[in-house]
Amino acid sequence: MPVLAGKELRIVGFLCNWCSYGGADTAGVGRFTQPTDLRIVRVPCSGRIDPLFIVKTLLGGADGVLVSGCHPRDCHYASGNFYARRRLEVLKGMLPIMGIDPGRFEYTWVSASEGQRWQHVVTTFTEQIHALGASPVKAVLGAYPGAAPSKGGDSAAA
Amino acid sequence: MEAAKFLSDAALRPWLDELATKHALVVPRREGDAIVFAPYDPAKPLDLSRDATIPPKNPVFPACEELMRYSYAKNPENPAQAGLTLEPLVPMGSTVVFGGRPCGARGFTIFDRVYLTQRIRDPYYGARRESTAYVTLACSDTGNTCFCHWVGSSPSDTTGSDVLLTPVAGGYVAEAVTEKGSDLLKSTHMADAGGREKEALAAKSKALEALEAAPDLGPAPKSLLAVFDDQDFWVDMSAKCISCGACTYLCPTCYCFNITDEVRGLDGSRLRTWDNCMSHQYTMEASGHNPRPTKAHRLKNRVGHKFSYYPDIHGGVIACCGCGRCIKSCPVGVDIREIVLASIERATAKPQE
Amino acid sequence: MQPLDVIKEKIREALPGLDCVIGWQRGFDPLHATPLFMRKPEDVDRLIWGPLNIYNTATYLSGFRGKKVGVVVKGCDSRSVVQLIQEKLVKREDVVIFGLPCAGVVDLTKVGRNVTDLGRVSAVDHSGETLKLTTPEGEKSLAWDDVWADKCLSCQYHNAIISDHFAGEPIAPVLGGRDPAAEEIAALEAMAPADLLAYWAEAMKRCIRCYACRNSCPMCVCRDFCIAQTRDPHWQSQEDSVKEKLMFQMIHATHLAGRCTECGECQRACPVDIPILALRRKANQVIKELFDYQAGVDPQAVPPLFTFKVEEDNINERGW
Repeated sequence: MPVLAGKELRIVGFLCNWCSYGGADTAGVGRFTQPTDLRIVRVPCSGRIDPLFIVKTLLGGADGVLVSGCHPRDCHYASGNFYARRRLEVLKGMLPIMGIDPGRFEYTWVSASEGQRWQHVVTTFTEQIHALGASPVKAVLGAYPGAAPSKGGDSAAA
Repeated sequence: MEAAKFLSDAALRPWLDELATKHALVVPRREGDAIVFAPYDPAKPLDLSRDATIPPKNPVFPACEELMRYSYAKNPENPAQAGLTLEPLVPMGSTVVFGGRPCGARGFTIFDRVYLTQRIRDPYYGARRESTAYVTLACSDTGNTCFCHWVGSSPSDTTGSDVLLTPVAGGYVAEAVTEKGSDLLKSTHMADAGGREKEALAAKSKALEALEAAPDLGPAPKSLLAVFDDQDFWVDMSAKCISCGACTYLCPTCYCFNITDEVRGLDGSRLRTWDNCMSHQYTMEASGHNPRPTKAHRLKNRVGHKFSYYPDIHGGVIACCGCGRCIKSCPVGVDIREIVLASIERATAKPQE
Repeated sequence: MQPLDVIKEKIREALPGLDCVIGWQRGFDPLHATPLFMRKPEDVDRLIWGPLNIYNTATYLSGFRGKKVGVVVKGCDSRSVVQLIQEKLVKREDVVIFGLPCAGVVDLTKVGRNVTDLGRVSAVDHSGETLKLTTPEGEKSLAWDDVWADKCLSCQYHNAIISDHFAGEPIAPVLGGRDPAAEEIAALEAMAPADLLAYWAEAMKRCIRCYACRNSCPMCVCRDFCIAQTRDPHWQSQEDSVKEKLMFQMIHATHLAGRCTECGECQRACPVDIPILALRRKANQVIKELFDYQAGVDPQAVPPLFTFKVEEDNINERGW
């Protein structure tokens, strides 16, 4: 049983390889302490992020999702983050109708040299998630398969 | 069989409460605007006003069934070797499905000829089939999409049911159809029929008479084969179909399934789920070749299977119970009756070669 | 000549150059219409126009790629045609559009709440002040306001937005009336998130994953290659769980963001009447707020998620 079980919530981060992943690396090299709730998935560009990644993550039981990319106008691939900005803003608007607090998802821009900013982002977002508490998804929709496999369905027609 | 009994309206819920203590009881209930079959809850009302939107198929043939669980364990001495543990999950326990109509229960007799044969016996289906009893309500009235009498059934057909309840004044006349049914009727809530059998018989005849005369579907098997290569006919018939799965999943006699493994790291489940012949992937082969690439091909398969191929293999029994769900729940109103009759007309109109 | 007869004439004239013309005819009973594919002049006789024409004829257009077809449209159907043209899924020159002014269509789910069994209506009279139905329980008279589809109560496009042939007096939109769609979204969002999630869990329990919602959508063109059914990438498992079903609804809603014309076919097609339209309407609401864009209104417009601006008007660059 990991040391922090019960004390940390699960936050999944989707970081673009060039700026934000580099920024997180810089924060690490600079030994900036951050909460450990965040687990990172590296993608080549924030424009690669399908809004459904965030939906699937949240429905899978994650307590929070953070997306981070290059600053607009500085995308490594020129325009990826422009598309990401539009898509992710739309997704953020759609979360309330699903029954998910929009505060559980944030997207931000962190460049490769901004180690301190990364620390600030992670700390702030983790605090935001802890204030919201554990996600109700696990209780309402059931645990993600990988915990106990379900016995083949819970549809109404028994 | 044995003498009929009478279940008064007042005794219905107490009888159901009693059944629920010994069996998993499934009843029709309104959820939103649909009527579904759900586990009995004494606090919630039943809805018997009309045939349920969803047929009572799940207790015997669930939409998703976990056939087995498996897990790999790496051998610490030799990591290249992985041991495999398999855990089959054959269902147990007894279930009573209350409140379906004759068409809903009849469906499983179609399954039986395919799933429980001399050569092959599906243990999962077999276990559920043996442990599930159907307490069916005879229909007092029929709807615009009812055509049970076209396919050899009727509003009071007992085929596939264990108990038939015929609504009469003040309650139901209860008839046991099988041994299982007989046991279910051994209850203090069941009274002597007291001469109400005549009333029940009259109700059954009235319902049957309310239906318009059935056309003769005898020529259907040959006609459907005769129009097999008539692509124009099938393009016409399938033009409005949107290839969803509503007709298939809501059909009491549809029995196709898919098996998939859902893997999570070193563990997994093998699931059996309903398959849907209207879907593009239905006959999709691993090579990518698809023998039924268009909805015309697939609709031909569906109608052909039910009204031609199955009857030919199984002594003329039509693989359709006439419940009409495929018509009323079809998003665009595809009418299988229309298609079968059109094929008969088309086949007879074709010049004899 | 009645507008419907004018249109029937135009269709007969156009038929020789077209694969077919899509419209509506009477269905399996007096209460249900069904799509009609007119290929011969005699077929045109069966064309009907009225409050029972609920199907969106534009749903079939993407299946006729490469062929010339005609389509009879209500105002909402024409929005779907326009959106398909905007996305280059249909070529304008391959479609001949026939329009008539639409006063509204009925929502059969609403009608069903007022009768014991929708399948036992033996006669319908929709010509009068109320909708009259003949049922085994007697004559039922339903107020039109109780049975109009929600989209009709706030309709701004009673007439085809673009058309090759239009007959009848165009109907002007009523402004400032009820907006049941916005009311529904507001009511849902007023619930606490966990309660709303439980509401969807309860509603999705009865979903049979038939994909009627997806297949009846005119904008859903992936159809058989939908990611909800692929094994590689494996977005969804075959498990029959509420989580998978809700995930599919989110897949559909996000893929429709900025493209959905709110024709309502998804909810109408659902065999178990799950109120899924709210998810798609919310996506549209967000798009309208952020980009002042409505799908299917201007054939020249570019859908907002197909493009970007370096400086966005309504998106707040996160201050943190």
